[in-house]
Amino acid sequence: MLEQLLIFTRGGLILWTCKELGNALRGSPIDTLIRSCLLEERSGAASYNYDAPGCSYTLKWTFHNDLGLVFVAVYQRILHLLYVDDLLSMVKQEFSVIYDPKRTLYNDFDDIFQQLKKEAEARAEEMKESKQVSKPMNNNLARKQGNVQNGNMDGGNKKKSGGESRNDLDGENFKGHPLENGNLNNNHIGKGEATTIGKNNGKENGISNNGAFDVNKLQKLRSKGGKKTETVANKVSKEETKKTTKKNRVWDDSPKEAKLDFTDPGSENGEQHISVVSADQGESMMDKDEIVSSDNESESEDEETAKDNKIDGKKKGWFSSMFESIAGKANLEKSDLEPALKALKDRLMTKNVAEEIAEKLCESVAASLEGKKLASFTRISSTVQAAMEDALTRILTPRRSIDILRDVHAAKEQGKPYVVVFVGVNGVGKSTNLAKVAYWLQQHNVNVMMAACDTFRSGAVEQLRTHARRQQIPIFEKGYEKDPAIVAKEAIQEASRNGSDVVLVDTAGRMQDNEPLMRALSKLIYVNSPDLVLFVGEALVGNDAVDQLSKFNQKLGDLSPSPNPRLIDGILLTKFDTIDDKVGAALSMVYISGAPVMFVGCGQSYTDLKKLNVKSIVKTLLK
Amino acid sequence: MDKEKLDELKIQLQQLLNEAQEFVQQIPPAQLCTAVGVVLFTVFLFTVMYYLLKHRSANTILLTGLSGSGKTVLFYQLRDGSCHQGSVTSTKPNEGRFLLHSEANKLQKGKMKHVHVVDVPGHSRLLAKLDEFLSRAAGIVFVVDSVEFLPHLRIASEYLYDILTNASVVKRKTPLLLLCNKIDRVTAHSMDFIRRQLEKEMTVLSSADTSDEHTLGVVGEAFAFSQCHNKVTTAEASGLTGDIYHLEQFISECVKP
Repeated sequence: MLEQLLIFTRGGLILWTCKELGNALRGSPIDTLIRSCLLEERSGAASYNYDAPGCSYTLKWTFHNDLGLVFVAVYQRILHLLYVDDLLSMVKQEFSVIYDPKRTLYNDFDDIFQQLKKEAEARAEEMKESKQVSKPMNNNLARKQGNVQNGNMDGGNKKKSGGESRNDLDGENFKGHPLENGNLNNNHIGKGEATTIGKNNGKENGISNNGAFDVNKLQKLRSKGGKKTETVANKVSKEETKKTTKKNRVWDDSPKEAKLDFTDPGSENGEQHISVVSADQGESMMDKDEIVSSDNESESEDEETAKDNKIDGKKKGWFSSMFESIAGKANLEKSDLEPALKALKDRLMTKNVAEEIAEKLCESVAASLEGKKLASFTRISSTVQAAMEDALTRILTPRRSIDILRDVHAAKEQGKPYVVVFVGVNGVGKSTNLAKVAYWLQQHNVNVMMAACDTFRSGAVEQLRTHARRQQIPIFEKGYEKDPAIVAKEAIQEASRNGSDVVLVDTAGRMQDNEPLMRALSKLIYVNSPDLVLFVGEALVGNDAVDQLSKFNQKLGDLSPSPNPRLIDGILLTKFDTIDDKVGAALSMVYISGAPVMFVGCGQSYTDLKKLNVKSIVKTLLK
Repeated sequence: MDKEKLDELKIQLQQLLNEAQEFVQQIPPAQLCTAVGVVLFTVFLFTVMYYLLKHRSANTILLTGLSGSGKTVLFYQLRDGSCHQGSVTSTKPNEGRFLLHSEANKLQKGKMKHVHVVDVPGHSRLLAKLDEFLSRAAGIVFVVDSVEFLPHLRIASEYLYDILTNASVVKRKTPLLLLCNKIDRVTAHSMDFIRRQLEKEMTVLSSADTSDEHTLGVVGEAFAFSQCHNKVTTAEASGLTGDIYHLEQFISECVKP
C-alpha cells in the first residue's frame, strides 16, 4: 500500500497530495529526497531509500520537465510494490492534462487518482499471475526467483521493460542465480545511501546487457562477494600472528647484522649544526584570484555543431534537422537525447571522469530534459550541453563553506586548536601538501603545529621535521612504531598548551581494502574528533577514485564505535600540474563523496596550492 | 578676419537652408506625412520599451535566505494570501509579477504598481542563481528561520555577508530587510537577538575576510548594520499564519520611488 503520493512544482509548491492515504509521513522524506538525490544529480537512479527512527520508506519519482512538475510516491520499504512506476507515469499523463500554472487547488484529481490506482494494481496482479504461469523445463526455480527479485530491483529501470530483462536472464541461465544472491548481499551490506543504489543500478545494467564482457563482470562480482568473507577471515588470523615480531632471515653463517638504522645519532640532537634557511617563497597561490578567459567558447561550439551535424545527419537527414532546429520540436524524447548524451559521456570519459559517474550524470541530465519543449533556434546538442553544464556546476559548487580561515577563527574564539587530519592512499602527496597548507596558514598569521602520526613509513617523521624547520613551525613527533591515535591526542594537548591555533596531523598512506589499517584510522578519528577530515587524492587517478572514496567513507562509517561517525569532510586534490586538461578526477571524487574540493595542489613548492575554480573546471570538462 | 569667416559660414548655412526648403516642398505631402509618421512611431516604440524595461527592473524584490527559512511560503502569501498545501525544498526560483494580495482587495484611488517578486532557492548548491537576480533587485529580503536560528548561524551570516559585499548591491545601495520568519512558534528567538547575533558573526567574518573587494563595517570596531551604506532594517513575520504586514510595507517602500 502506498503511503503517500505527492505532486509539486520545481519551485517548491505542493499541488496535490492524496487525501485518502492520509498517513502523515514520519521524518521529512521528501525534503531529504530533494536535497540528497535530485540536487545531487542522482535523479537517474531508480529509487531512493529513506531511513528515519521508526520508519523506512522507499521513494520513487518522475518528472514532467516541460511543465516543471515532480511526482513522488512513498511506500514502506518492506513492501515491494510493482505498480508504482506504472502508476506514476499514468498520474503524470493525466495530471498534465488538467494542469494550469495559475491553479493551485486540484481536488478533482482525487477521483481520477483512485481510478488510476485501481487500474495499476489490477495490472500488477495480472503480471504477477502471468509470470507464474510460464514454466520452461530447466532452471525453473532459478528463473522465477531471479525474475521476482529482478523485477523489484529493476523496477525503476526505464530503458527496459520487464519482458526484456526476463529474456536477458535466459541467456545468463546458471550464472544468473548465484549473481542474484551476490546482489542481494550487496543490498543488505550497503547502507541505504544513494551510492550503493547507484552501484546496484550499475551492476543491473551490466546484467541486462549481453556480451562476453559481462561474463567477466559476473565472475568478478561473484568472486568479490566471496572475497569479502575471505579477507575478513584472513585479517583476523593475520592480526593474531602479527604479535610475534619478525626475525631477520639468516642465509648462511654470516654474523647477525646490526639493526638497519642508518640515521645519524648526532642529527637528532644536532639541529643547531645545520643552518636552515627559512622558507619564504612569496605569496601562496591560494590568495591569487584566477582570471577565467571566456573567449574560446564560440570556437569550440562551432566544432561541436560540425561534429553533431554528422551524427544527426545519419539519423534524419540534414534538412529535417535544420527545420526542426528552427521551428522547435514538440517534445524531447529519450531517443533524441541519446546520441547527444552518448557523445557527451564519451567526452567526459576522455577527460578522465570515472565511467560510472559519467553514466549516472548522463542519466540524471536525461531525466531532467525528457519531455521538455525544445526552444526554437536551438539544437538538441546545445540544450543538452547547457543542462550538463548546469548539472556540473551544481555538483562542483560546495555544499558548505570551504573557507578554513573562518573556521579557524571560530575555533580560536572557543579556545581550542583546529585539528585537520590528512588521510589517503599511499603516495598521493599528503606530507607535501600538508606543508603547503601550513605555509599558507602561516601567511595569514595563524599559529600552526604539525603532528607526525605517520609512524610506519621510513623517513616520514624526518620529512615533516624538515618542512617544519624550513617554515619554523613546531612539530610534535614520537618517532616510529607508536600508536598514531595516541600521538595525535598528545599533539593536540601540546598544541592547546603552547597556544597553536591549528594542528595538522599527517597519517600513513593506506589502501582502502586494508581492514586493520582502516580500523586504526577510524580509531584515530574517533579518539581525537578532528574538525576537518581531509581526503588527499591525486588528480591522476582514474576509475579507482570512486572505489577509494566510497570505501574510505564506508569503512570510516562502519568501523567507528560511535553512533555518529565522522566521514570525509573535504578533498585535497594533488598533482594537478601533471594532468593537462584531464580534470575529471575532481568531478568523480566530488560526486561520489559529496565533499567539496578545498585545496588543489599544483606543484611541489610551498606556494603551489590553490582553490578550485568551478567555472574553469566545467569549461575544461565540456571542451 | 574672423568676422569675414563667420559671415561666409552664415551665407553658406542660409544657402543650405534654402536648398533644403525647396527640396522639402518638392516632395508630395503624402510621402512626407508617412515618413514623419514612421519616425515618430519608432521613437514612441523605443520610449515605451525603455520605460517598460526600466519599470521592470525597478520593481524586482528578491526573497533570499537559507533553505527551509520559509521563502516559498512567503511568496505565495504575497501572491495569493494563503500558503496552499505547503511547500518543499525549491529547486528552481519562483518568479511572479503581481499585485500584492492585500492591496488587490483594497480599493485604492491611486495607481497600484505590480511587483515582480522572485523567490530564489536557498540551497547551497543553487547559489549561482542568486547572482543573476542581485543585479536587478530593487529590494532584498533576507528571510531567517527564528526557530532553528542558532545551528545555522554561521552559514546564515556567511550568506548575508556575501550578499552585502556583492558588487551590484554595494553600487546600487539596495535596501535590505532582515525578516525573522516563523514567529508564530513558541520557541522563536526575538528580532533583536537575531540581529545582535548576526552582527557579532559578521564582525568575525569581515576581519577574517581576505579576498572580497568590498569589506563591511569599520576596521577595528564591532560591526553594526547601521554601518552599511545601504539601508538594513529588521522585521518579524509569520508565513504560515499570514502575518506579513512589515514585509508588505517594505515592498511598497522599495517599489514606490
